[in-house]
Amino acid sequence: MEFKTVLFYLFAAVLVASALRVVTARNPVHAVLFLVLAFFNASGIWMLLDAEFLAIALVMVYVGAVMVLFMFVVMMLDINIESVRRGFWNYLPLGLLVGTILVVEMAAVLGQRYFSLDALPNTAAEAGYSNTKELGRLLYTDYAYPFELASVILLVAIIAAVVLTHRERKDTKAQKIGEQLATRRDDRLRIVSMASVKEAPSVEKAVTEEGNK
Amino acid sequence: MLNNFVMPDFNPAMPEILLLSMTCGILFVDLIFGARHRWMVPLLSVVALLVCAFVTVNTAIGDPVLTFGNMFIDDLMSDFLKLLTYVAVVAVIIYSRGYMKARGLDKGEFYLLMLFATLGMMVMISAANLLTIYLGVELLSLSQYALVAIDRKSTRATEAAMKYFVLGALASGLLLYGMSMLYGATGSLQLGEIAQAASQQSTGNHTVLLFGLVFLVAGIGFKLGVVPFHMWIPDVYEGAPTAVTLFIASAPKFAAFAMTIRLLVTGMFEYAEHWQTMLLILAVSSIALGNLAAIAQTNFKRMLAYSAISHMGFMLLALASGVLAGGDHSPAMAAYTSAMYYVVAYVLSSLGSFGMILLLSRAGFEAENLTDFKGLNKRSPWFALMALIFMFSMAGIPFFVGFFAKFAVLSMLVATEHTATAVFAVIFSLIGAFYYLRVVKVMYFDAPQDNLPLRVGFDMRLVLSVNGLAVALLGLFPQQVMSLCQFALLRSL
Amino acid sequence: MLENYFPVLVFVIVGLAFGCVPLLLGRLLGPHRPDREKTSAYECGFEAFEEARMQFDIRYYLIAIIFILFDLEIAFLFPWAAIFKEITESPAVRTFGFVEMFVFIGILVVGYAYAWAKGALDWE
Repeated sequence: MEFKTVLFYLFAAVLVASALRVVTARNPVHAVLFLVLAFFNASGIWMLLDAEFLAIALVMVYVGAVMVLFMFVVMMLDINIESVRRGFWNYLPLGLLVGTILVVEMAAVLGQRYFSLDALPNTAAEAGYSNTKELGRLLYTDYAYPFELASVILLVAIIAAVVLTHRERKDTKAQKIGEQLATRRDDRLRIVSMASVKEAPSVEKAVTEEGNK
Repeated sequence: MLNNFVMPDFNPAMPEILLLSMTCGILFVDLIFGARHRWMVPLLSVVALLVCAFVTVNTAIGDPVLTFGNMFIDDLMSDFLKLLTYVAVVAVIIYSRGYMKARGLDKGEFYLLMLFATLGMMVMISAANLLTIYLGVELLSLSQYALVAIDRKSTRATEAAMKYFVLGALASGLLLYGMSMLYGATGSLQLGEIAQAASQQSTGNHTVLLFGLVFLVAGIGFKLGVVPFHMWIPDVYEGAPTAVTLFIASAPKFAAFAMTIRLLVTGMFEYAEHWQTMLLILAVSSIALGNLAAIAQTNFKRMLAYSAISHMGFMLLALASGVLAGGDHSPAMAAYTSAMYYVVAYVLSSLGSFGMILLLSRAGFEAENLTDFKGLNKRSPWFALMALIFMFSMAGIPFFVGFFAKFAVLSMLVATEHTATAVFAVIFSLIGAFYYLRVVKVMYFDAPQDNLPLRVGFDMRLVLSVNGLAVALLGLFPQQVMSLCQFALLRSL
Repeated sequence: MLENYFPVLVFVIVGLAFGCVPLLLGRLLGPHRPDREKTSAYECGFEAFEEARMQFDIRYYLIAIIFILFDLEIAFLFPWAAIFKEITESPAVRTFGFVEMFVFIGILVVGYAYAWAKGALDWE
């Protein structure tokens, strides 16, 4: 067995084990951390496939950003874990059965012949070959259209996130400098024109008003 | 390698490019003026769509043109479907303005997300590559998830959005998995090249292709909302604000149809006999379940949701009868034409039916139950007549547009010797007619429960009336639209 | 190509060892006799008032998701930077490849401006 194969099985074993722990962990924070471990190992497997850019992107985007988001979400929700997990053991046999059937079927249909390591072309990459550059050469020429579409999807995601979660706070004490600067005199100051000399009410009138009450 | 690059031709994609730039412009308009002038964003959105329509007509060449590294296709089918999409979205914007305003939901983002969803539909309609199909689907779905949840205070809407999102993500996964199988077996993401590779396959890749096909059909089934991938439809239709339901139930059907044609007919025509069997199963179960479940509903939105399931099943019947056993594909063009006509007829009637709910609802009142339609004839005879037209068209009663759509599909089935299926479809259409006619009965023969006059804008009255008259008139002259569909498909496929 | 990453592998292994070995050694060599008081949460001599987990504000989520989106944008910039020299040297893609990235960034700047104008980036 080559060193690469050893590494593959190591990464794969840790990946599967940590993925299992993600769904079985009692504490959601632990589950997120196991997911991080799973991503690291998946990135290792991609590295073995010479897909260095994807491997790094996986670590950067998923471990660096998505998992932080997951952590926030876990901390945001006040979930009673026990109630979520109720019925886990009841559903487990059915889930296992369906999963096993799926795996067996897929293995039976596809088998060793079409997707084994021998069936797929092995592009042996020499030192100095850069996966990232190859990707760039395609991405910024032939794949320009999907590339721009990706940015539109990201734009929609920003808008959707702001629409769905942002709320204006009424009680905020933050200064809005733009508004402060745009204030004109008329907004703050009201000049009331009054007679400069006002006649004092006569005593009789005050007395009759008192009497009316 | 970079030196072989040829600058792509931007002209065929002009509508998409324009819509994107105009949407970004509208976004800024909304940021600057949106808070004070609420009317600006919907007006500008309608203008943007009309500009796109103008450009689409002007850039239509007739022969298919590929650009952007053969990922984008502009043919007559895409032009035709895009125009229909603009029409549907414009109608949605006009119908929904009053409803959203009464609920304080008429934020600029509502219209912006609809425009982005429209862009996603256009991308799907013009996709010539698995990757662009997928990106179009994602752009459309992402906007739709956000639209369903746009009423943040409503727990029902949030739950619907959550359900939609989770099931939608699953369906995208299925679709993507199927696409990866196709790519693995043929070595290309290009639909044309996939078709070519599929026609000269060794037996080995045959299995992989079939396997991928199953997942593709599952993904398509979800986007169309047919049994057994229909679970999201009733909950989302009922839970979403009615204006959003109207949107989901109309224009995206065109995009889903285009996606089906691109993936199955353009890409996997070699395997037509296989996917036809799958579609037939989906269609038959959808027609049965949709019609039976709709009878039990008292909520009008939910009833229309089940009716949507059965209608999409009906449309699939047409797609499933294109190629005869033995590989004779002479009826294919007629079959796909009738499917396209069916989608057009359905979307027209669906726009009107949800439009009626929006017409009757007002601030604090949803008008989504069947009982809310009681005695509509006494309150407004004209709109009761419109609702009658929509219901008759949905039920397939002659001579409305829905009748000819059903008729075309059924005659295709008989012509391709699917007589038993045709009989089955007729029986369930008759069962289905019951719940549509029940709405008519409630409108005309029951006493009204509330007598408040209808208070909606002139624009909505006008468009809804035009919509109703279109359903009635297209029923009288079905041949025109039919030959348009046929022409578009003939020049495209 | 993988040879280039051999130092990374060594680094990962050394890093893991550096983190795990002291913990394991402590566990193996030291005495391990937990009791109820020892394992309870420590809070300056008095009983803990509440659980260590507290609910976060939803605003963290908004910031995090905006961060992810721009993080993804950076991920797309990376291959572009790697072949930037090639792009500028090839007459066929010089303009296209350059403008394309600016369109991409431009679309995202629209989103950025939107989030900013809506006050989604403000904390208080």
